[in-house]
Amino acid sequence: MSRWSYFARRVLLMIPIVFFGTTITFLVLRMGPMDPAAAVIAGAGDTEAYESVRQSLGLDQPLWLQYVEYLRDLFTLQLGYSWVVNRGRPVWELIGVYAPRTIWLGFWAVMLPLFIGLPLGFYAGLNPNTLSDYLASFGGIVWRAMPNFWLAVILVSVLTQSDQLFGFDWESWLVQTQIVTPPELQRLWVPSNFLAAFKAILPAALVLGSASMGNEMRIGRTAVLETVNENYVETARAKGVPRRTIISKHVFRNALIPLVPIITGEAFLLLGGSVLVETVFSINGLGYLFYSATINADLPLVGSLMFFFILLSVGINILQDLLYTLIDPRVGYGGEGA
Amino acid sequence: MAADANATGVDERRSSARQTQSDDVDAAESADDRLLEVENLRTVFHTERETIRAVDGVSFGIEEGETLGLVGESGSGKSVTARSIMGLVDDPGELLPGSSVRFDGRELTDLTEKGYESVRGSGIAMVFQDPLSTLNPVYTVGNQIEEALSLHRGLSGIDATEKAIELLEDVGIPDAARRVSEYPHEFSGGMRQRAVIAMALACDPDVLVCDEPTTALDVTIQAQILELLSDLQAEHGLSILFITHDMGVIAEVADRVAVMYAGEIVEQAPVVELYENPRHPYTRGLLRSIPSTQQGAERLETIAGEVPTPNKAATDCRFAPRCPEAFDACEEVHPVPVPVEEGAEDHTAACLLYPEDEPRKAAVDRHAAAGDEDSPESAGSTGGDSR
Repeated sequence: MSRWSYFARRVLLMIPIVFFGTTITFLVLRMGPMDPAAAVIAGAGDTEAYESVRQSLGLDQPLWLQYVEYLRDLFTLQLGYSWVVNRGRPVWELIGVYAPRTIWLGFWAVMLPLFIGLPLGFYAGLNPNTLSDYLASFGGIVWRAMPNFWLAVILVSVLTQSDQLFGFDWESWLVQTQIVTPPELQRLWVPSNFLAAFKAILPAALVLGSASMGNEMRIGRTAVLETVNENYVETARAKGVPRRTIISKHVFRNALIPLVPIITGEAFLLLGGSVLVETVFSINGLGYLFYSATINADLPLVGSLMFFFILLSVGINILQDLLYTLIDPRVGYGGEGA
Repeated sequence: MAADANATGVDERRSSARQTQSDDVDAAESADDRLLEVENLRTVFHTERETIRAVDGVSFGIEEGETLGLVGESGSGKSVTARSIMGLVDDPGELLPGSSVRFDGRELTDLTEKGYESVRGSGIAMVFQDPLSTLNPVYTVGNQIEEALSLHRGLSGIDATEKAIELLEDVGIPDAARRVSEYPHEFSGGMRQRAVIAMALACDPDVLVCDEPTTALDVTIQAQILELLSDLQAEHGLSILFITHDMGVIAEVADRVAVMYAGEIVEQAPVVELYENPRHPYTRGLLRSIPSTQQGAERLETIAGEVPTPNKAATDCRFAPRCPEAFDACEEVHPVPVPVEEGAEDHTAACLLYPEDEPRKAAVDRHAAAGDEDSPESAGSTGGDSR
């Protein structure tokens, strides 16, 4: 099957990309103005102490040797210890604490648009130029237009004062949660814990996913409108296929093809965008950790997190190829591949 | 309110049309038991500025096992006629009241979308122009044939696959057992059209509507597809409505030919009669514009001008501005289809020059009389848009 060998080749291609990405990361970190030794002694100004710190961190070694060790450590997943931000703590442990919050936030920021924006867009596309289409389209533009940082601040202030504003207290509604705090992610399989964690992340996920929601709505609408007018849809009607089947079988699957890169592309944006939203909602996730590691020149932590992000990007890329391969049989048919 | 006026007006018109042709009562009666009977079909499209009368009063019938060729330039309303028969005309298009499509004695224009679904595919099937885009790219060819089989015959699983393979073999696809699980992009253009035909035949329809089925194909493939269609017709006793702009193709496949111009049928005759003895000036022009190997290096004739877009009810002959034989009355009287001469009931032309054996004045009066009885209807049905 040519489409699956195409997919396998795409996956193999990711190996040099990871290698290249980590190398660029190393170069950028070492050629920039970061000086971890200075950060560790925190401006004490003692040349001797400075030199001994450099020595203990291995920064006096030749650069090529440091590079080889850096690569070896990353690819064997020896991520080492934090130098500055949380001195002496294993990087793995830090990631273990911070990552779940970001993953939880990112997961819902992808899922909410997918399960709200996309169905709305499909609905609008199937009923073009009706009142509900106009409402959905207008809503899509509004969601798309509201900037993250503004929406985050507004949402926080509205929700914290919901009792005074609407006579409805968001914090105690259903389960007691707080708005500006990291979500509790222990024992999620217990329904009440899950509900609390979901409710705690909901405002942040809505903000982070708002632009995606608008995007997916608008593009989903266009994709459906285009697909409905395709000749094969008329052929299906001419052979007596009921409307419901035409939409679910012939329209939706084809309309999804242009949406795959939109959805996965937005998953990338969430990585960068989460720093802002995590800050406003005090979520203390990877975005926050990465930010403080970078300004504090915590080389092992920054390098490891970059490696983590590179793997994530590559993973999303592979997921995108997998979705393409599943939905569209023409993938890889060109022989050379795109 | 206006709609009511329309409906009664059209009924009057239809019965009066019957009376004017009272001399061919027999023909009308035999027409009623033809397999597919299209009568006074008017399909309009509403745009913001005007109402386009894409098909404007078309009547024809197809007998069992017969091939009717519908020929005309681009924009003459051929495809809209096909879609109207299939019930595929969507907003902003609609069939005006009084239009009638009868299949096997059943009126189709009254059917709901649900009711039409049972006719499509099993009663009347359709083959479209561009085989590249008429198959869904994300499903296998077999899947799309099996879809029709499960809808109309209740076949599924292995039974459906076997039947699909059989159908692909019938339309001349080699190695059908392997091909059935391939995707449309793995088929060549001619193969795809064969697959589309297999899909259309899946439920054993009585009528096959072919909308320019060979236009997008190479000439050699074209000949193969035409041959396949005629073989299948003989085998299954199919009636075919064959739509094309290619007079050469029509000569090859059709038993009878209807020539369309600006939403109307201007001439209808058995195929040999039409080619040997074309009567309507438009048909003559069309035939003269076919490139021929015998004529040597002579410059090919064309019909000057373009097909007008009919946006109001006709009060004159729509071809008159381009007609070399037009005279004064052509701008004032709308011609109706009449036999071209006494006793030639199967050869009709909508032109003031006919019936040829009547004095010109009498012939014009005959068209005008039919048109006058028409006029309350045409004023009613066009509503605001008739000047």
